[in-house]
Formats: sequence, C-alpha cells, structure tokens
Amino acid sequence: MTVEEFKLPDVGEGVAEGELVSWLVAPGDRVEEDQPVAEVETDKALVEVPSSYDGVVEELFAEEGEMVPVGDVIISFRVDEDGEAAAGDDAEAEPEPEPDSPDESAAEPTTEAADAEPDTPAGRTFAPPSARRLARELGVDVAAVDGSGPGGRVTEADVRAHAEGDAGAADAGGPDDGPEPRPAPTPTDTGSDGRKSAVSKRGADDGSADAPATPAGGPDPAGRETTLATPATRKAARDRDVDIDDVPTDQTRDGEAFVTAEAVNAYADALESPASTPEPEPVETGPGTEPAVTAGDASETSAPASGDETVPYRGVRRTIGKQMERSKFTAPHVTHHDTAEVDALVEAREELKPKAEAEGVKLTYMPFVMKAIVAGLKEYPYLNSELREDDEEIVLKSEYNVGIAVATDAGLMVPGVENVDEKGLFELADAVNDRASRARERKLKPAEMQGGTFSITNFGAIGGEYATPIINYPETAILGLGAIEERPVVRDHADVESEFLDDSDDSTVVPAPTLPLSLSIDHRVVDGAVAAEFANTVMEHLENPLLLLNE
Amino acid sequence: MVVGDVTTGTEVLVIGAGPGGYVAAIRAAQEGLDTTLVEKDAYGGACLNRGCIPSKAPITGSGLAHEAGNAEFMGVHADPAVDMGKMIEWKDGVVDRLTGGVEKLCKANGVNLIEGTASFVGEDTVRVAHGGDGQGSETLSFEHAVVATGSRPIQIPGFEFAEDHVWSSADALDADTVPDRLGIVGGGYIGMELATTYAKLGADVTVVEMLDDILDPYEDDVKRIVRERAAELGVEFNFGEGASEWSEAPDGGYLLHTETEDSEESTYGVDKILVAVGRQPVTDGLDVANAGIETDDRGFIETDDRTRTAVEHIHAVGDVAGDPMLAHAASNEGIVAAEVIAGEPAALDRQAVPAAVFTDPEIGTVGMTEAEAEDAGFDPVVGEMPFNASGRAMTTGHTEGFARIVADEETGFVLGGQIVGPEASELIAEVALAVEMGATLEDVAATVHTHPTLAEAVMEAAENARGQAIHTLNR
Repeated sequence: MTVEEFKLPDVGEGVAEGELVSWLVAPGDRVEEDQPVAEVETDKALVEVPSSYDGVVEELFAEEGEMVPVGDVIISFRVDEDGEAAAGDDAEAEPEPEPDSPDESAAEPTTEAADAEPDTPAGRTFAPPSARRLARELGVDVAAVDGSGPGGRVTEADVRAHAEGDAGAADAGGPDDGPEPRPAPTPTDTGSDGRKSAVSKRGADDGSADAPATPAGGPDPAGRETTLATPATRKAARDRDVDIDDVPTDQTRDGEAFVTAEAVNAYADALESPASTPEPEPVETGPGTEPAVTAGDASETSAPASGDETVPYRGVRRTIGKQMERSKFTAPHVTHHDTAEVDALVEAREELKPKAEAEGVKLTYMPFVMKAIVAGLKEYPYLNSELREDDEEIVLKSEYNVGIAVATDAGLMVPGVENVDEKGLFELADAVNDRASRARERKLKPAEMQGGTFSITNFGAIGGEYATPIINYPETAILGLGAIEERPVVRDHADVESEFLDDSDDSTVVPAPTLPLSLSIDHRVVDGAVAAEFANTVMEHLENPLLLLNE
Repeated sequence: MVVGDVTTGTEVLVIGAGPGGYVAAIRAAQEGLDTTLVEKDAYGGACLNRGCIPSKAPITGSGLAHEAGNAEFMGVHADPAVDMGKMIEWKDGVVDRLTGGVEKLCKANGVNLIEGTASFVGEDTVRVAHGGDGQGSETLSFEHAVVATGSRPIQIPGFEFAEDHVWSSADALDADTVPDRLGIVGGGYIGMELATTYAKLGADVTVVEMLDDILDPYEDDVKRIVRERAAELGVEFNFGEGASEWSEAPDGGYLLHTETEDSEESTYGVDKILVAVGRQPVTDGLDVANAGIETDDRGFIETDDRTRTAVEHIHAVGDVAGDPMLAHAASNEGIVAAEVIAGEPAALDRQAVPAAVFTDPEIGTVGMTEAEAEDAGFDPVVGEMPFNASGRAMTTGHTEGFARIVADEETGFVLGGQIVGPEASELIAEVALAVEMGATLEDVAATVHTHPTLAEAVMEAAENARGQAIHTLNR
C-alpha cells in the first residue's frame, strides 16, 4: 500500500488557480480512477477534477472555498498495489449513496472513521452532542470533519463549515438530496451545492475553513468587556499573548460573546502577519459590490446583524460582475424599445414544430429571432462590430456569432452559436438547446463563451416585457426579448377577421401575439437612428417569417 | 369499558409505560404525533414501582438510622429505632406521587392511555386485552410502535418467587419487617444494595455469589472498597458458590443450600432468601414474531442506532432492547425513538452511559476504564484523588474511596471516570458531561470547583492526571 499525492491539474487554458468549491469525496472514501473528487471553479468555468488513482482517500489538503494554485497537492490517496479494496467493503466503495436511505449513510460514521483516521482509536470522534446532532441533520460524517477545538474536538462551526462545501455529504443525507447520483451535476443540485459552498453563515466565520480566508485588513480588536470561552481557549489566548476580549467572534452563549480556540488562533495569526491579507483587490471595485467584498472582521464586528450571510464574491459571480462593470462603465448604453406583432411567426413555428419534433428537435422562437437578427446585422454591420479604442478603429465582423444569455444557478453565462448565417433553423435550435443545457450544467468549455459578435438575452422566458440589457462587451449591441404573449394591438378593420366589424377604414383594438424587443447599443459606435432602423429590419423579418427564407 | 372488539388507529403506539415508554410517548406527543400508550400494570414501570426509586427510600432510611447510631466520634449519641412498616408506607407515598405524576404528564401532553396487555397481531396491529372487570379487548392499528416492555427479575430453578420466604428484589422493598437472617443469592448491584440496606437495618446478611467477587463488571479496587465496607457492616460473603435449593430447618426458618463447582456443599440458616441474579427481558405474551421481529437467544430485541428493530417502523427501547438495562439509558432511547419517528435527525450516539450503585459507599462510573481505553487503542493517562485527602469528605465522616479520571494522554480528552465514595452517584455526572462533550483534562482541571465540596475530587483527579495536582502526590 502506498500513498500517492495528487496535484491540482491544469484545468483550463491559462488558468493559474482555482477555487476549490467542494469536495466530492471525504477521507476514507474509495475512489476509482477518473472518478471526480472535487469541483474547482476558475474564472471561466466550474470543472470537476478526476482522480488519477484507484484507492482510498487519505487526506484532503485544501479547504472548500480556498484558492488553490495549479500544481499544489490537494489530496492524497492510499493506493493498494494489487488494486484490491483495502478496508472498505463494497458498500463503502459505492460512489452513490442509496437515494432512499439517507439515514443509513449518515449513520455510518463509526465504521468509516476507522478507515479515515487510523490514529483515532475505535473510530471515536470527540464532539459534543449538539455538534453530532447537527452533523446528522446536515448529513455530515462527523468523523470526516476537521476539528478546530483542542485536540481536534469538532465544534458545531466545524460541522457547518464542512457541510457548506461538502457535496458528497449533502448527497448522503442533506435536506436537498435528490435521486440523482452524486457526481452528475444536474441543474438543481449543482446549484444548491454551489450555493452551499459559497455561502457561509456569519456564525461559522471563526470555523476553521473561513477564518483564514476572510480577514480583509489587519484585525481590529473587538474590545469587549466580557467573553465566554473554555479554559483551554483562555490558555490558548494567553499562550498567543492575545487579550481574549479582543478576539472577534459572532458566536454567543447566553447572550455573551463566545470565543473558540480557533478564533483565538486566527486572530493571533492575523495580528502576527497583517500583510498577509489574501485579496486586497476586490475592495477597490464599484460601490455596488462593496458589501460583498469587504468581508473583513472590522465591518462584521462593528455591525453584527445576526441573520446576515456573507457570500464570497469570487469565481463566476465575480467574473460576471467585472464584465458588467466594464461594459456599463465603458460603453454609453442606449436602449431602444419596440414591439413586433408576431401572428405569422407563431403560425410558422406551429407549422414547423411537428416536423422538428420528428427530427428530434425542440423548436423554440430563438432560431427565428437569430435569423432575423442576422438579416438586420447584414444591413447594419455596425451592430456586429467591436470598437478597439486603443487602436482607434472599429472592427466590422465578418462572422455572425450570436451569444445567448443563459441564467444558471451559478449566474449568467453567455455561450455562443457560431456562424448563425450558415445554419438552418433546426440546426440552430439544436445548437441553442445544447449550449443552454450545458451552460446550466456548467459544462461549457471556455472557448464556447468567447468570440461572440452580438448577443441575445431572452428574459421573457422568465417573464416581463422590456428591460435595459447590458452589452456583452466588447460587442456593440444586445437584443433583449420579452415574453411572446397576446397583447392589445390596434389594427384596421380590414385586417381583422370578424363578422361584427364593417369594412370601413376605421381601426380597432384586438388581441394579438406580440414580442417586445429591447435593443441596447454602444452609443460610441452606433447612433439611435441606426439602432431603430436595425430594430425595424429585425421586426420586419419576425413579422414576415417568409423573409427568413432569404437568410 | 367496551366489551367485544373495536379497532382504532394511532400514529405511534408505545407498549409499556416505564422510563423508556412514557418518555417516548410524551416526546412523540410533543412532536405532534397521535400517540397511544399501553400499560398493563403500573405507570412508571419497574423503575418507579419496583426498582430505582423504591429501593432508594429504604437505602436512605437505613443509612440515616445507621449514621445516627454510629456518630459517637462526632459527639452524636443516638439509638434509632426503625419502624419498617412506616418506612414502607413512606416509600409507597413517594412511588404514588411519582407514578401519578407520570400519568398526569402523559395526559397533559395528549397521550392516549390504555390499560391492558398488548400483543402483536401483525406488523401494524396489536390486540390489547383489557385487564379488570370488563375483560374486553380492542385492536389497535399503528403506523409506528415502540416496544418498551422492560425486564423482570430472573428466577432460578427451585427458588420460585411465589414462596413467601423467597424474595425477588421487589418483595425485599415491600417487606414490613426485617428478617433476622437474610440470605442473598447474587452479589451484583441489586444484591449488594439490598445487602447493605438490610445489614444496616440489623439483619444478619449472607451473600452467596458464584463468581469470586461481588459487582462483577467493576474494577478490583472499586469492588474492594465496597466489599470491605459491607463486611464491616456484618455482611458475610461466600464466593464461588451457587444456590442449589432451600429446605425447612428443624428449628424454624430455612436452610439455603449451595454448591461449588467441585460439588462442595454448604448450608446457611436463613429466614428469608433474596434472589437477585439479574433481570430478563419481558416479551412473553407480546407475540413479537407476529410483527416479524425475532428475539435473540437471551430474549432481547435487537435494535440499530436509531432504536429500530428489524421491522423498521417498530422500535424497541430500554431493558427489552438489551444492555445497559438502565432507566436513564431507556429514557434516552425513548426520546431517540420518538424523534426518529418524527423524522428528526436523532440517533443513539451517546459516548457513554453513566451508572451508579447505591451501596455504602456509592459507586459512580462512566465511559472507559483504564484497561478499556487501552483495549480501544488509546494511550490512557489516569488521575486519582482519594477522598481521605478531601476536607469535605473528612467532615462527613466518610473518607473511603477515590475519584478517578481516565483520559487520552495525547489529546487530553476525558474518556471515563470511576468514583467510589460518598455521593459518587452525583459526582459522576460531571465526568459524564466531560466525556460527552469531548472535554479535556485541562478543561476539567481549569474549571473552578466549589470549596469545600466532594466535587473538588474530580478536578483534583484531572490535575493529578496532568501531573499537577496540588493536594495529592502526583504519580
């Protein structure tokens, strides 16, 4: 039996580090080669890191939520030479817990602990009853939790910190476990796991996982008059030469501030190296983001609102934020609104739908809109351009690569469909469905989110008529689609089939399917008039879908 | 009372109203479940009616009388007379208050009470035969059941409790006169508690025990202190002998015959014979097999860590579910059963169940002994504080015994404790908390204890284990 170390591999082009979002395995788990062991989020995507070994997980070297440089050892495996299971039996090696028996899997800490920590005799985990109950409630194997207390005692905060990132544990018995096997991230469970990993209750801040990650500036002494702590914690404070009344904490007992040994050590560490602030950069970002990023102890202790949650501003969320900031603060946006009357489009789709279904294609309105946009872009190429300020030039793009904004649980993603002009409706439908579903599963390759020349945001799928979309910079325009619904429109009597109306030139209000459009443009590149003309062309093609045959 | 058979339904059916059952029923009702509790005999079970509580009354009474009569060294001269009938009456009053309280609590929490004997018809129905005049029966269907039927004293062949002069522990707690000579078969904790009591009440007590010492599971130094004190009180021990039969003595009274493994026979003249050789689970008449549940070869129902039997919606708690056969373990299990039924994340993950023996002096233990810790793979460190170094112990006149604490040397986690001495049954609670919480020796040692109290001994033992005791020589 040997122990193999496993380094964070290069997870994507040019990516130097990633946030370890969640561990999919715990010490003592048996893994097979290629089985995903962790989810790592880079600036660009969430990737699953597969194991290179068959073996049993020995130790995890990174905390969930930690930024890990590529090449750092993140996990070690006990690999048995003959490839035979060492201590784990089949039941334990099972990668997915029985979906209908969360209790059982949560109830196994004793046996698993024996495997996980050979040096803890009899699988004994030292944790108070309250922490053990919490572990059961959160579906956490208490033996797998790193204890922050004296001698490694597991506190409630430790259990919480462990649960918040532990996808595996959540699957094993968490309240949101579905019938889905653990490694396959469906939209729902990726989402909930992702949130779990990112959100930490304030009360858990002095837990082992969070404490080192959060201090923003040098720590401010809390300066309380009284503090509750165990004798061992007080001794730790004396040993570290720290006044226990100065240690920041959000925990209370009987209304009094309660400090753990971990908090003492974190505070002492921070005092000793005030320069080791992990990421000063986010503090300088825009005002809207401030509450999220100045997660320093100072602000927390000065205004402790017990129900608040702090969420790390990192990974995909931060990438989206920076992108929006750059677009909105760089490109002067103008948004043009209009409404297309789409009776004919609705009919056309209804006619084509059975045909599409026969070919296994789910036909939405999106391909029609994309085609109509291409028609508009061909006529008004400045909306399919990129302003290169430094070079003092505007590049009119030869390709029509349309990005589709997709709301995912992790945030907005904009995968692109290339060469829309060269694709048929069904082909486009397929491409859109594929990109959207993979975006929700967070399985897009970074390249698939680059190279767009124009974007669509279909907020109408959720509801609403008009919006002011933000351009997917450095593109020049974005078209927002409202919901296609019947709305009152004014039409000539002649255009309305009704036995109650005469043939006069009068007009009347009738219900008709309409599609509200919201077109945002970069006013540096395009003027409002051009935007309106482009919108007119798009509408013309949407109102007369036969014109799309030309595209 | 309904004569005939009616069927009613309940979400949770609890069978047996002892400390496991009534606690399960109350908690289940608190969880908002429709709960029915069936009891065939007396609310409170053996604990309140025939065990823990009723035994403490004569233990205290006899102890008080003995103390008063033996306090010349502190200048108290008295010759107390014990009115056994009055003492039993007082005990019965206490029992009535407690059992009445249990019944009231059940009702106040909305538990439906049925008096009768339940037996399983299938895995979701029982038939309850009502006791008393009506003689009716009813069928109850349930979604979940908790079997909490408890245990009863084991009878040995030839010593049927039906005989006036052969006592079970329950009979010994109801006797209104003190026999001149009491033979006790069994030197376990029940036998020893009653031996001490009756010795203090003036009986000549002879204990016959098959093993070579009393109080089998306890450590030698613990046993020795209790045995020596009992001998001082006049209890006579005969080890390695099993009771074989009794006969009538020609001069009145009875003869208790014993036999060793080598067939050496002995005879002891006695007036009453108390058989206290252990307790066995009560499952007869319950027909658990009809529900698909099997009992093990000792008659216990096996359960998992959520108190579930092989049939998942049927739980078993307390003595009927096996060791440790202690009331407080039963209550703990009852709560877990009710919460598991209610869907809460409860489980039996207690680290240790404390136990107390109300001999003179008392014994309180929790968690691991030094040897058990070693067997479990720990590197144990042990600290002790003898009560003869405790100022408070000296001023009570009881300085025998010690407090001992066992911990893991590397981490300092408290693994267990053994206390033998005055108030050991109370003192052990602190060690139990330490074990359950995962407290370290330092935590216990650095917690300020009131002076002068017996409880300081626990703190001193922790300091002793760390080599820092002030009032004893460090090992």
